[in-house]
Amino acid sequence: MIEKTIEVVNKLGVHARPSAMLVKTATKFRSEFHIEKEGMKVNGKSIMGVMMLAAECGSELNIIIDGPDEEYLLKEIEKLFKEKFGEIE
Amino acid sequence: MKEITLKDFFDKNKNRFALSLITDEKTLNNSITSPHINRPGLALAGFLSRFSADRIQVLGETEIRYLQSLKEDEVYERVKSMFTYRIPCLIVTKGLTLPYIVEYLANEMSITVFSTRLSTVNLYQTLSKYLNTLFAPEMTIHATLIEVYGIGIMLTGKSGIGKSECALDLVHRGHSLVSDDTVKITAIDDNLLGYPAKDFGHFMEIRGVGLVNVERMFGIQRVRQHLKIDMQIELMPWRENMDYERIGLINNFVEHLGINIPITYLPVSPGKNVSVIVEVAAMNFILKNYGYDAAEDYTNKIQEEIKRKSLLRKINISQSHSNS
Repeated sequence: MIEKTIEVVNKLGVHARPSAMLVKTATKFRSEFHIEKEGMKVNGKSIMGVMMLAAECGSELNIIIDGPDEEYLLKEIEKLFKEKFGEIE
Repeated sequence: MKEITLKDFFDKNKNRFALSLITDEKTLNNSITSPHINRPGLALAGFLSRFSADRIQVLGETEIRYLQSLKEDEVYERVKSMFTYRIPCLIVTKGLTLPYIVEYLANEMSITVFSTRLSTVNLYQTLSKYLNTLFAPEMTIHATLIEVYGIGIMLTGKSGIGKSECALDLVHRGHSLVSDDTVKITAIDDNLLGYPAKDFGHFMEIRGVGLVNVERMFGIQRVRQHLKIDMQIELMPWRENMDYERIGLINNFVEHLGINIPITYLPVSPGKNVSVIVEVAAMNFILKNYGYDAAEDYTNKIQEEIKRKSLLRKINISQSHSNS
């Protein structure tokens, strides 16, 4: 199991489109994927859950991944956040 | 290219358009090949270079008065040169009397002339509608068409995916069937209409049971003869890693006969209740038509929440800066 804190750096935060991208990526992997924010923990493969976090720019998310391909999934998730979900500023 | 012989046209629509035949029955051999109607005013005035000769020609009060104002030999020349084009037929409205010379020429040159009691405007409207329907592009499609809460839903997908079973379930739940397996579709104006492909009745094949007569089994209120197709639902085998629509913010469309209708790709797996999902899709379609979009509503709420929190964060940061 790996845990990592990731900061939301895209201006618009994790709204509908980024949530869909996260879930789409996560469902390609077998590992379990959870996101925690301010005590609320949701399943990262469920779009309703991820959207509900309403993670704004500058907030920090605790990523918890557990499974055989956890490292690969983490890499992809980090990449999504780092690339600001393709957001144009 | 579609066509209808004048004999057929006359026999079927005598009453509908209040028609009577002025010329000889021998002239009924021509065919109508165009869905359009023309008023040959300019052609009668001698301007024939852009004459739409393939259309039904309608003579109203204006044209008849004009012909009456001409000398007999002028009428003869003008009408003769118009008739040298192979026009399908002439219809005189309001039961007006045609100059005898025109009738004579029509018989001689074997051009059909009808008379109608309808006014020009009335004839134009009803005849146009009839011709548009008659000449509308059509095709048959491998699909099942069903009405759910008043919404026309065309189910598509590979053979064996469960279109008929889904339709049967929907009929059982009180919805009505137009056609199973093969649907005839036509495009009229901006609407896509669907019909049973054949008039054999509403049969469907249920694997393991065989043929079922839906009308006999469920009653006349569970079948329909035609329906406007509002949306398409494509059933597809559920596959892992496949990219299914999760929120519904993206609307996909599919084109049939030049008309776009929304399409939903629905993954099907054993034990999944597809008919309930089809009902939900229909209700969501109705809500969207009434201006409510659940996906939009929910994501807007999320966006507002994100904005509010970003604002709070900025305020907190600037406060901690000023404190230090």
